[in-house]
Amino acid sequence: MNQCSDISNQIALWLDGELQGEEKRVFELHLQDCKSCSALVSNESRFLDTLHTAKQAHVAPEQLRNRVRAILDEVPAEVSAPTHLRKRLTDSLLLTRDSQRSRKLRISLAIAAVVAIAIAMGLWLGRIQTEQPGRYLPSSFALMAADTHRRYLDHHLPLEITSASPEEISTWFNGKVPFSVKLPKYQEASGQVKLYQLEGARLVGFKEDYAAYVAYRMGQRPISLVMTSNSVAQPAGGEEIMSRGLTFHFDSIYGFKVITWTDRGLTYALVSDLEERGQQSCGVCHQGVKDHDLIDRLKPTSAGPSSPSRDPRPTF
Amino acid sequence: MSSPSCAQPFSQAALEHLDALYGYAMTLTRDQTEAEDLVQETYLRAVRAFGQLMPDSNLKGWLFVIMRNAWLNQLRHNRSGPRFVGFDDATETVEHLVGKQADDPHVVYLRKLECHEVRQAIDSLPTHYREIIVLRDIEGFSYQQIASMLGCPAGTVMSRLGRAREKLKRILTSWRTPNVANAMSATR
Repeated sequence: MNQCSDISNQIALWLDGELQGEEKRVFELHLQDCKSCSALVSNESRFLDTLHTAKQAHVAPEQLRNRVRAILDEVPAEVSAPTHLRKRLTDSLLLTRDSQRSRKLRISLAIAAVVAIAIAMGLWLGRIQTEQPGRYLPSSFALMAADTHRRYLDHHLPLEITSASPEEISTWFNGKVPFSVKLPKYQEASGQVKLYQLEGARLVGFKEDYAAYVAYRMGQRPISLVMTSNSVAQPAGGEEIMSRGLTFHFDSIYGFKVITWTDRGLTYALVSDLEERGQQSCGVCHQGVKDHDLIDRLKPTSAGPSSPSRDPRPTF
Repeated sequence: MSSPSCAQPFSQAALEHLDALYGYAMTLTRDQTEAEDLVQETYLRAVRAFGQLMPDSNLKGWLFVIMRNAWLNQLRHNRSGPRFVGFDDATETVEHLVGKQADDPHVVYLRKLECHEVRQAIDSLPTHYREIIVLRDIEGFSYQQIASMLGCPAGTVMSRLGRAREKLKRILTSWRTPNVANAMSATR
């Protein structure tokens, strides 16, 4: 069942969320070891993302919207509960509220205890998972970021704005993505020797919306930064490192170093081919002296888990 | 995919699906006036049938089924109108579509181009392919939900979707390179 020919027939089912149980488990196990099937999944996923862009093609004309509103205004009144019934229900609920309050408090404390235990268990299990190489795939956002980086390097993803100005690129994203993009301008303001170059930006499709893509270059080595709202993407999988209260996820995808994390409502992915975990790519936003410790903390230790022989991620 | 609740009355919840329904109507009719009429008819029917909607049912799916039934009803009453075509009845070839695409003016904005291009490619598919792509890839219904809407087994949904996507890939592949190149030259 784990032959590539069988698996390739299931790619669409898996991407559509229609693969369940044992079939899904076998499929995902196969993906971890098979580069060619992973490439097929990536291609198919990209194609489906492209189709999602067509969602915005049809917007109902305003006059139709008004006509529909008028129709919906005619929804029979009896579908809403009569006012006097609402009042009777409210009154009866108020009468019982006081007697229920102390019981509710006891229940809430019990629930809080259960939740705390569940979180502790989750953290403990999460720790075990990161220590068991190869069990978990990178997040879809990390995969998309790595794929976007690769397509950019292959000249298949042209920039929509070419500029070295953080302000200009930040302004360009206004109204194009459903979140605010403010690229740091530390390097420009500090007058220091520039370690990296901002090249430009474009939109990339992710889920049913656009994510922001920014291209940098450090010497001859390109660095991609992808941003989206954390409501549509959450970092997951990979090796987890805590620094400054943030959890960074490190993956190796398509041979690139991918770092993903969430901060203040946005989820970020940095992709590069820089050394170690690629933590130097963080320098595109954190170049100040005070940020050195942030980057240093992300360095692998000599016997750290990111040494090539222990890289837990399947290479896609 | 929400169902109306106490916090969100039916009229408000139903209005949220207007753009999706309009897109589906355009998929079925390929005509703006007909699509607007179909949307209006769908909401009229929905309001009349509101009492039949179960509390936890999928409002969006329910509205889509109403629209599809309304459309099929119109087809039955208008034999000269457009019809669903069989799997092998597609009259437009890829080459023909490429020719049509080449007449388009340069599109300055690359994302708009992509959206426009994809939508145009979808619109060029035979109705049964177009419909299943819209239901699954644009509106995100599950195979089982689509099977219920179309009144066919889930296996048919799967195979039809596979064929529709393959055809769409061929069309987009034949368009993609020259258009992206055009857009690039226009943006620089």
